Amino acid sequence: MRVRRLVIAYLGLLAASLTGCAGSGAGLDSNGRPIGSEGGGGTLTADFQSIQDNVFTPICSVCHAGGAAPQGLRLDAVNSYSMIVGVPSSEDPAVLRIKPGDPDHSYLIQKIEGHASVGAQMPFGGPALPAATIAVMRQWVTDGAQPAAVAAAPTGLSVVAAAPSTGEVVLAAPVQLILTFSAELDRASVAPSTLKLERIGSGGASEGVEIPVVVTVPPGNPSALLVTPREPLGDGRFRLTLLGRPGLADIGGRQLGGDADVTVTTFLVETAP
Amino acid sequence: MSAWRIASLLALAALGASVAPAAIAEPYLAVQQGHKCVTCHVNPTGGGLRNDFGTVFTENVLPQYSLPSGFPVWSGNVFKFLRIGADLRTSRSETEAPNLPSERQSGLEQLRAYANVSLIPDRLEYYVDESLAPGNAQPNEYYGRYSDPAHGWYLKGGQFYLPFGWRLQDNTAFVREVSGISMTTPDRGFELGLELPEWSAQLDYSRGEANISVGRGHQLTGQVVWIRNDWRVGTAASFTQSVFGNREVEGLFAGRRVGPVALLAELDFIRDDGFPGGERRLAAGFAEADWAFHQGHNFKLTAELYDPDRSISNDQQARWSALYEYTPIPFVQLRAGFRRYRGIPQNDLQNRHLLFLELRVFL
Repeated sequence: MRVRRLVIAYLGLLAASLTGCAGSGAGLDSNGRPIGSEGGGGTLTADFQSIQDNVFTPICSVCHAGGAAPQGLRLDAVNSYSMIVGVPSSEDPAVLRIKPGDPDHSYLIQKIEGHASVGAQMPFGGPALPAATIAVMRQWVTDGAQPAAVAAAPTGLSVVAAAPSTGEVVLAAPVQLILTFSAELDRASVAPSTLKLERIGSGGASEGVEIPVVVTVPPGNPSALLVTPREPLGDGRFRLTLLGRPGLADIGGRQLGGDADVTVTTFLVETAP
Repeated sequence: MSAWRIASLLALAALGASVAPAAIAEPYLAVQQGHKCVTCHVNPTGGGLRNDFGTVFTENVLPQYSLPSGFPVWSGNVFKFLRIGADLRTSRSETEAPNLPSERQSGLEQLRAYANVSLIPDRLEYYVDESLAPGNAQPNEYYGRYSDPAHGWYLKGGQFYLPFGWRLQDNTAFVREVSGISMTTPDRGFELGLELPEWSAQLDYSRGEANISVGRGHQLTGQVVWIRNDWRVGTAASFTQSVFGNREVEGLFAGRRVGPVALLAELDFIRDDGFPGGERRLAAGFAEADWAFHQGHNFKLTAELYDPDRSISNDQQARWSALYEYTPIPFVQLRAGFRRYRGIPQNDLQNRHLLFLELRVFL
């Protein structure tokens, strides 16, 4: 009898956990984040921001985010573009995750369609994406897999995203800063002298400590810039500024921010507990 | 956080249930039998290729009917030094979610081949777990293992699944997805293990799944399990150092046999600095009851909780499953189940449910 009672009690607790445990969703957007804290959904269209808001953030980043992102692939709103467009797949490095203009040879498209050379169809364990959603994503790739800000800022070069982002507190010194731009960069304009990485005080004033960096445009992703400090960043607050003269320019000759300096990101490195 | 109180009670219930006589490789089988993972599997942390005991168990205890006398007996041993096995799973499922068209999926879920080469008997072995389909062949695990049977320790080096909590067949369980350690995420490194009669412990140093794309950083994982005949309790912890942000995972898990029912529970707590907005604390809970009501038949109930950000209210998700597993003859299993997801009402996918049917053939 005791066995029966205990099994019934356990099953009762199981049943109790089935009811009333899911959140009410009050005050949250459809991604479960406080309303207004992240981009909204809206209708899915063939542009990156829409795909981020309707697919990557609500579906993919459930797993592909944070410190355990499968294959190190982070599809959150800050990192996804720079980690997929023109970047080789870690599972099949011969194939780019997104090959602009060529959805058939884009690994991410292959994965969501279920015919990638390696592994299971994505989203893993969930229903496959609807055919209409996949068609929109294919269209975005066919159109050149442009970053989000192209349509919004057709008149000039702009920074789409930076990692670490402004205000971010990073608990391990980043070995690389990633910037993505609204258009393909003119490689001739890319040089360490086009930007400044410096340590600043808590009030934002420069401490006069400039960090030497190496600046590269990653192969296959001409809209991104990798900024690699030559020496490890210690604890402290840092600011990355793109300088107006000589400034970065896109292949159309449009300069970033005219002649003015543009602060791209300010972040805090805090490795000590 | 009433959901977490309930989950804690589930874990305590798994521990507190009464003693009962033994009934009859999934974790629930280990709990029902009072065995360690290494009793049935070549890999001390479980899963994959079965050893001699596991094969005999699969042929004689698990199925409802034995193969006819005179039918060739499968031992797994091709040569004295080579042992092989395989696992094929096909499935058919239908998913429905509010405001979305229902979706049917069917096909081959996985085809794996296993091999274990004994280079020095009982001392040095090499193990391979290879996915053959879908897609191209891909290694899941490949490692060398040196054992000292007299003292119970071993050293493993190569690519392998990390030990953390219950090694569930369902890799989509919240505790497996959220911990980031499952049988979909093999890692490269070393493992030092200890297998004593009532204890099983591992300490792993590996690369870390999040660090694959950057090639630097590391992960430390440890697990200790105390195994008694009709109950067991374990704790696991993992720390990942990554340029994207560090991550800590702590887990507590327990199993209890109550008559023909095996009860399993796990609670995992995660602190992850790798999110764009900074640190996030997550939690996941899992409870399972398996009732082997007749030889070859098992009925499984699971209930799960997931809090994707403990600093935010009203965002919790739940999941529960009812599953029937039928093993009519050795090496063949049918599974039919219903799974219900519950989440915030404004997210349709968090409120889906699915029916599924699986056929599994394994050697």
